[in-house]
Amino acid sequence: MTNYAVGLFQTPASALAAAGTLKGAGFTTPELMSPVPMEGVEEVLGEKKSVIKYFTFFGGLIGGLLGFLLAAGTAVLYVHPTGGRPIITFPPFLIITYEATILLGILFTVLGFFISARLPAIRERVYVPEAAVDKFVVTVACDDNERFKRAEAILSEAGAEQVREQSEED
Amino acid sequence: MSILERFIEGWKKYRKPGYYDEFDYHWAMTIDLDQCTGCEACVTACQAENNLPIVGEKAFAEGREVKWIRIERYWEGEYPDIKLRFIPMLCQHCDAAPCETVCPVSATYHNQDGLNTQIYNRCIGTRSCAVYCPYEVRYFNFNDHHWDSPLEQQLNPDVTVREKGVMEKCTFCIQRIRQAKDDAKDDGRRRVRDGEVQPACVQTCPTQALVFGDRKDPESQVSKSLNNPRAYRVLEELNTDPSVVYLKKVDAKG
Amino acid sequence: MEPETNDPQYADIHRDVVRSIVETGPKYYAALATAIGVTLLCFFFPWFYQLYYGLGAAGVNHPQVWGTYLASFIFWIGLSHSGTLLSCVLHLSNSAWRKAMYRSAEAMTLFSLMVAATFVLVHLGRPWFIHWALPYPNQMEMWPNFRSPLLFDVMAIGTYLTGSSIFIYMGSIPDFAAVRDRTTGWRNTMYTLLSLGWRGTDTEWHRLHWAYTFLAVLIIPLAVSVHSIVSWDFALSIVPALHQTIFAPYFVVGAIFSGTAGIVTVMFVLRKYMEGFDQYITKVHFDNLGKLLLVLSLIWTYINVLELFTGWYSGTSTEYEALNYKLFGYYAPLYWEMILFCAVAPLLCISKRFRTSFVPMLILSIAVNIGMYTERFLIVGTSLSRQYLPDAWGVYVPSLVELSIILGSFALFVTLFLVFVKIFPSISMYEVKETMVIPAAEPVVPKEGSPT
Repeated sequence: MTNYAVGLFQTPASALAAAGTLKGAGFTTPELMSPVPMEGVEEVLGEKKSVIKYFTFFGGLIGGLLGFLLAAGTAVLYVHPTGGRPIITFPPFLIITYEATILLGILFTVLGFFISARLPAIRERVYVPEAAVDKFVVTVACDDNERFKRAEAILSEAGAEQVREQSEED
Repeated sequence: MSILERFIEGWKKYRKPGYYDEFDYHWAMTIDLDQCTGCEACVTACQAENNLPIVGEKAFAEGREVKWIRIERYWEGEYPDIKLRFIPMLCQHCDAAPCETVCPVSATYHNQDGLNTQIYNRCIGTRSCAVYCPYEVRYFNFNDHHWDSPLEQQLNPDVTVREKGVMEKCTFCIQRIRQAKDDAKDDGRRRVRDGEVQPACVQTCPTQALVFGDRKDPESQVSKSLNNPRAYRVLEELNTDPSVVYLKKVDAKG
Repeated sequence: MEPETNDPQYADIHRDVVRSIVETGPKYYAALATAIGVTLLCFFFPWFYQLYYGLGAAGVNHPQVWGTYLASFIFWIGLSHSGTLLSCVLHLSNSAWRKAMYRSAEAMTLFSLMVAATFVLVHLGRPWFIHWALPYPNQMEMWPNFRSPLLFDVMAIGTYLTGSSIFIYMGSIPDFAAVRDRTTGWRNTMYTLLSLGWRGTDTEWHRLHWAYTFLAVLIIPLAVSVHSIVSWDFALSIVPALHQTIFAPYFVVGAIFSGTAGIVTVMFVLRKYMEGFDQYITKVHFDNLGKLLLVLSLIWTYINVLELFTGWYSGTSTEYEALNYKLFGYYAPLYWEMILFCAVAPLLCISKRFRTSFVPMLILSIAVNIGMYTERFLIVGTSLSRQYLPDAWGVYVPSLVELSIILGSFALFVTLFLVFVKIFPSISMYEVKETMVIPAAEPVVPKEGSPT
């Protein structure tokens, strides 16, 4: 049950400036909430690494393997000669492999997204409804009142329309 | 044999086109167009033997007749030099059949006797096999069929009656082949002798234009017939490798 | 700082889109009731009759065993390529004009695929056994035949359905979160579950961007392969008019063509009937869609000419017969109608005035789709009529049951789309906001002399 100082801004630039100042002032990394993805977040808050690409890659690889095994394996399990063709034929089975690669690539990407974005949110997290409409929001965790006052000062100076205190359950 | 050797052996087997090293029997048919009179006795016999539906006049006019063997007629020339050519067309039981590969549920396949078989129970009625067959010898049951009394007494108990939504085609009277193989086995594990099994059409043909037998047996009538210099196959350029061979008609003009 | 123009603001689009979901007028209910009624009457009842009587209820015969059901199936799969092109390709090329349209376009994709799937069931002789085409371990120890082009279909369309649903869902998560805040009752519960607790933090946006981009990168080759595979149902046969290598590009181009025309139709309808949407779907969008239609029409014409030319050049009797029959045979009026609607009419899009007028574009898009449906029908109809053995030639006329089912399928699609409009935000709020002027665009400058 942490308390958060929440500042609402009109423009993304001012929100970014405030977040940078907060980070420089020694607070834990602030979170920026916005109705649209913001440019320039990585310069202020540090580089973000995404692991989703590994999920996609391995999903594709596993999918390809499983696809070919499915087609060739079932062909061998119940041998069914058709059309003078071999039992394990490559042109059709490579198509099956291709589709399975893409299918599992997609599914693993979704899994990677859920894992790395920590969704769905099981526990309550601090939420600011205005961030979904048209305000750019900076939230930073504040342990005690003194830190909250400092955060409030920084946010107001950077041009926040409103500063308030919130916890996860609000 | 080690696992690797078994794997390699299996791989070679599964990569072999057609899969079979050797058929048990390799049923084939020759049709002598010189002797065929176009009387359609074979069509009637096939209908009687295989419980073919009588679709009725309306359905026939709509093009929904079911004739596993049909006599194709082609007119040549202008009056008074008109000539009619006819050719019996039935399932050619192609060794490289285009219809077999396309069935999504494996309802048609090439069995170890060299026959192209149709499994009525498995068919879900996509009708792709009918599209892929260049000879147009596959027939679909567009509705459930009905035999007016007492015609249902004539139905062959050895052959199933197909329900609507199922593809069917000539089977070389597989029920007769199976019976002949059973008889041969009961008789002491011998092979089916030439002439012991004849499909209904072959049996009925009044001019003996149709000859049926095992291609693997060099002494059989059909093997000798296949060596006839008049022999040709329909649509050979499509590389379907049919088992039905036609003997070209000798024209009066030579 | 007041915004200087009358351009819509973030709050405006938010309000408009939420209102489109939450407020429902009598016109909507009337439309929904009509759509459901027509679907039941024209799609389901004739289909049930056909299930009872057999495929004889359709006009199919020997040798024309495939009829309008398969043509409709391909048409609907073709329409489903609309969302893919607009969404994925234009996302990867960072185009701005797609942002207002792509959500509805993706919905079109999804519902077209669903309608196409029902056509598979209608087309089968024994659809109650369709599950045999799926690979599942069973007591018969039978597996489907993976060498069959129809099985490639099953895999490809299954993957495409999964991919499209996931894609439209992922793109909508932020919008679900936004709508969640403004709704109550069962809607609130539904959107709470659907939005998965999305808060709009920078981390979440970053991850969503990457996941979305990877999905777009995966779905583009998937969409190309799906319609190629559908074309191979035909091209892998040895029927003279079908056994052509050009079929895969032909079908893919045709699909994107008819899909784009479909988007024009849907955009016109959305613009007209949803309040406030005419600010977000503008002449710019119709202009660009018109250009796209023109380009695709030219490519489509080229491929048709190729088919005719290579067929004529080959000199084989079967090819000549097939071409002759297509151009001058029983179905010739349909062929020339198709050329008129798909090759000649889109040339009107050369004029910018035409492209930016709404009603003419609507008429053109409907004409293009009629032409493209005719093309699918002709592919099935003219090729099976004339195969190798002249004794087995035949003509096919669709029956009333088939025509009714075709009409009913459109009603089914409209029903699904109407339901969609009330659940999903039909315009992607966050992407349109990205294209808008941010309120008070100048950053607030800190006061002079204050410590920072």
